[in-house]
Amino acid sequence: MNSQSWHIEARHFLLPKSGYTLNECEDAIGINTSALRYAVADGATEAFDSQTWAHQLAHSWVTHEPPALALEDFRSWAADEGQRLHSSWSGLRLSWYAQEKALGGSFAAFVGLQFEMLNGSPPRWQAIALGDSCLVRCRDEEIREALPLADYESFNAAPLLLPSLGSMQEAALSHTAVRSGMVEQGDVFLLLSDAAAAWFLLMSLKRDPARSEFETLLASAREEELGRFFDEQRLSGRIKDDDIAIIRIAFELNAHPET
Amino acid sequence: MYSVQITRSNPTCIILLLDQSGSMADPFGGDKETRKADYVADVVNHTLHDLVIRCTKTEEVRNYYYVSVIGYGRKVTPAFGGPLLNRRLTPISEAAEYPLRIETRYKRVSDGMGGSLEMPVRFPLWILPQADGGTPMCQAFEQVREILEQWLAEHPGGFPPTVLHLTDGESSDGDPEEIGREIMSLQTEDGPVLLFNCHISSQRSSKIEYPISGKSLPDGFARTLFQISSPLPENFLAAAAQLGVRAEPGSRGFVFNADPSSVVQFYEIGTSLTGMKPYMWMDAQ
Repeated sequence: MNSQSWHIEARHFLLPKSGYTLNECEDAIGINTSALRYAVADGATEAFDSQTWAHQLAHSWVTHEPPALALEDFRSWAADEGQRLHSSWSGLRLSWYAQEKALGGSFAAFVGLQFEMLNGSPPRWQAIALGDSCLVRCRDEEIREALPLADYESFNAAPLLLPSLGSMQEAALSHTAVRSGMVEQGDVFLLLSDAAAAWFLLMSLKRDPARSEFETLLASAREEELGRFFDEQRLSGRIKDDDIAIIRIAFELNAHPET
Repeated sequence: MYSVQITRSNPTCIILLLDQSGSMADPFGGDKETRKADYVADVVNHTLHDLVIRCTKTEEVRNYYYVSVIGYGRKVTPAFGGPLLNRRLTPISEAAEYPLRIETRYKRVSDGMGGSLEMPVRFPLWILPQADGGTPMCQAFEQVREILEQWLAEHPGGFPPTVLHLTDGESSDGDPEEIGREIMSLQTEDGPVLLFNCHISSQRSSKIEYPISGKSLPDGFARTLFQISSPLPENFLAAAAQLGVRAEPGSRGFVFNADPSSVVQFYEIGTSLTGMKPYMWMDAQ
């Protein structure tokens, strides 16, 4: 007789725009290994303090209890986070233009993913996403699921994002995508900020060998090589020169002989 | 073409070329109190404000744009005042630091109970209205060409510069077609310089916006401006559509007999640029 257990392997990768430092990167990654919770947020460059907003969203979401997975919970969590961000600005002495900019608040795309280990059945996954940071679920090199965007042509310069201003959140939240399912043997989950998501969807559609190379480098955590890989993709114009945030979570079912 | 990303290391240049001749003192938009020069100065100040805010990153203004405002009337000269006096081209961060002054104006907003109330808003001024002298359009274009040639030598791989020209009348120093075409032939590796023209009038004549052909234009002057107006690139067409303005592939960046709202839209579309979301300020008018 054999017993079975699920092996989970998580990798992440963060790369700023060309010529920028990691400190200037407006994409953020949140990982809570013990809770099996993962998030990517992408701050809108044109908004005020969006780097802080993206970091706050990614880090807070993976540690928040109970997890903000249902739309109602997400709404209440986002409202609290927006207030926290705006409170952090209240003591600042800002120039006229920074004050003007702050009036509009911050914006970020967000995608969060949670796994729940279940006795006697495969793990359950639940995802919530708003904007153009995406979850892609793959198996055997095929895309099984992609949200909130599934087509590389859907990415544009003015995506719907999560605003920090409470008065603007309701309209945006109506576009939130919520999805769940059961993990299957060989599933690979990718959380990707917009440039990487659009690129990955296009490479998959074209069955371009660059996709396999990317997955090999990412799965084996060869970060420097992956950085050079994306530099080349940028130089050849195949991917937009934008910040890149990626989390990869792979599931394998291991069989153990029972004693 | 027109697809290079605008970054601090690869900025673009925006030139606002303004007719400041004596006729700009005439009333505009059916309001005897508002002179053309006053209205246009307000729109240009709004446009500069919009560009500053777009480039603001928390406490820093990033130099995605270098801006120039050139006025022509009694003389052809940079229109910035204060510490930026005589500056032909300035990084947007310096424009942010040195407006001439910041006024408080009032914006009417909904009070949430079916009425409205006036909210104070900051209104930075970089240029003041001017209306004096003739219309030396050719000389003005010459100055624009000099600025562009220097810029292009230093930024050959950037998003092509944009020139937004506003006038209320015919050139008084010759035919601007040749120099206009020369400006349109300048280019970066990402495409030719964009020259857009907006003509305003005190007459209540029907306006012609972003035409595809010059056939419907009323006279030779209008046709000349049409000839020296660049076709709107795709991303500018998207900005026009967002504003509800009818423009289609092949439409030139040209408005004839513009009314006040067309002037606002002209600057909004002309500064929309690639990948940068237009910042809506029209409701502050």
